[in-house]
Amino acid sequence: MKRVSFSVALAASVALALPVVAQTVAPKAFPKPLAEEPIPNVATLPEKYPASWIMVHDFNFMALADGRGSVVDVADPVNPLKGMVSIAQFGNVLLPKTKAEIYTAETYYTRLSRGERTDVITIWDKANLKPKGEIILPGGKRHQQVTYKNAFQFTNGEKWALISNFTPAQSVSVVDLEGRKVLSEIDLPGCSLIYPTGQRGFTTFCADSTFSTLQLGEDGKLVSTTTSKPILDIDKQPLFGMPAMVGQTAWFVSYYGVLKGFDLSGPVAKPLGKDFNVGTAEGASPEWRPGGWQVLASDAAGKLYVLMNPSGREGSHKDGGTEVWVFAPASKARTARIPVRGPVISIEVTREDKPRLVAARVDAVVDVYDAASGTFQHSLGNTVAFNPQTLSVID
Amino acid sequence: MANWDKFTETLARGVARGTSRRGLLAWLGGAVTGAAALPVLPVSRAYAAGGHSGSPGRPAQTSGTDQDPGDRTQCDYWRYCAIDGFLCTCCGGTVNSCPPGTEMSPITWIGTCTNPADGRAYVISYNDCCGKSSCGQCLCNRNEGDRPPVRPQSNNDYNWCLGTESSVYNCSTAIIIGVATEPR
Repeated sequence: MKRVSFSVALAASVALALPVVAQTVAPKAFPKPLAEEPIPNVATLPEKYPASWIMVHDFNFMALADGRGSVVDVADPVNPLKGMVSIAQFGNVLLPKTKAEIYTAETYYTRLSRGERTDVITIWDKANLKPKGEIILPGGKRHQQVTYKNAFQFTNGEKWALISNFTPAQSVSVVDLEGRKVLSEIDLPGCSLIYPTGQRGFTTFCADSTFSTLQLGEDGKLVSTTTSKPILDIDKQPLFGMPAMVGQTAWFVSYYGVLKGFDLSGPVAKPLGKDFNVGTAEGASPEWRPGGWQVLASDAAGKLYVLMNPSGREGSHKDGGTEVWVFAPASKARTARIPVRGPVISIEVTREDKPRLVAARVDAVVDVYDAASGTFQHSLGNTVAFNPQTLSVID
Repeated sequence: MANWDKFTETLARGVARGTSRRGLLAWLGGAVTGAAALPVLPVSRAYAAGGHSGSPGRPAQTSGTDQDPGDRTQCDYWRYCAIDGFLCTCCGGTVNSCPPGTEMSPITWIGTCTNPADGRAYVISYNDCCGKSSCGQCLCNRNEGDRPPVRPQSNNDYNWCLGTESSVYNCSTAIIIGVATEPR
């Protein structure tokens, strides 16, 4: 009843204001008033998003406890922001292909920045963006870092999630998303990030330049660990942490431009042994190097897109880039150089019939290009996120 | 640096194969009191508006002694050679103290910075201040020597508000903890 009273009071105040407006604006003769509009009225989204929609992880550095995820239609420069989910406090977001859900890994305190800590995986309904469930992560150990997608990944046909912990002791928790429970925790000292491998396992990179593939049993517990020779040259060719996936091949790029593929389809990760370099080009001082946050993307045809910085030097690897170079891994050929309005920190390519290259800039503006031609299409402006840190296709 | 990295990798891997996670934690705790590089922190330089950021136009804060020169609100102050975050000098704290009501992280990352006035190399501890929301002032981030998360001791993307009551990050200090000695 109070609500009704408030509505009436509000309506009355609006009614009182109307004659004042009427005195200053010449009225036109419309025979009918505008139709009444329903209250309440909340928008919903389709369960299956159009292929032009992506997830933009807004890290919100100025209020890290209030990180968010924006559902964005990159084909719609008029109204690109379709809705939001929370991704609180150095969080992560994970987007399944098999369910109309969105998963976020978050940390909350009962008094925002103090009080009791809760680490949680929140399960969101894609159509109404409401939380439909959650899985509490015990121990207050969820990995907190400027977001790497590979701190939170699927395995076991998207039935399970793998999530990194960092206290700074490192481990991975195996979470049954359908059963809403944590199945196990696997110690991983010296190793970090998660690259799903095979049916029920993952690969992780280790500080001694090896990588290990861990396979899990039906109960989520560790079954086997296979450790490689020390082939990751962290000093000479450090790899950006987030690969671009082409099928089940993960392509990484190094700070200096070496592209390195790993076949993650089997029980053990296998380097493809077909490394190649992004090469050189004019227009750089001192040299072109990959630069930004999400510097690598793939398209449905398997081409790779690398964000390039013309001011490459030690320490420039997070500065952002001004061109996107396109490569066909099979031929190791560079097929295009796309100048972008920048500097850009993260790129993604949609899975539309005519794919678009989406570029999130340092100033939070998001620009959209035709991925095939490199032609600038439109800008979404500074309208979808305070700090667009990662961009993800939503299948 | 190279020796240190090799040492830490060998040790980390040894821990990985042989002992518990508490062992690694103990190792990290020990490393903090050593020397060399445990860089850290949460903010991408990409959001620093120009250069390494700092805060253009802000009145200078100086030590008052010629032996510790420079503006402590600016990213080019000598102690900030490996810092990444909001400078506590702009947040209610100072170069070596946290703002009121925050908690200083006991786990830190360390840089070795040369003081241009006396030419000495000092070990600088970049303790985070935790328990209040992002300060948002004087963002400063340098990535020289920064390496991927696979090497946490030299990656500045981690939130190192660890071992504190709250992991919410507010700002970073730059505290002299000694004069660096040449590695043997």
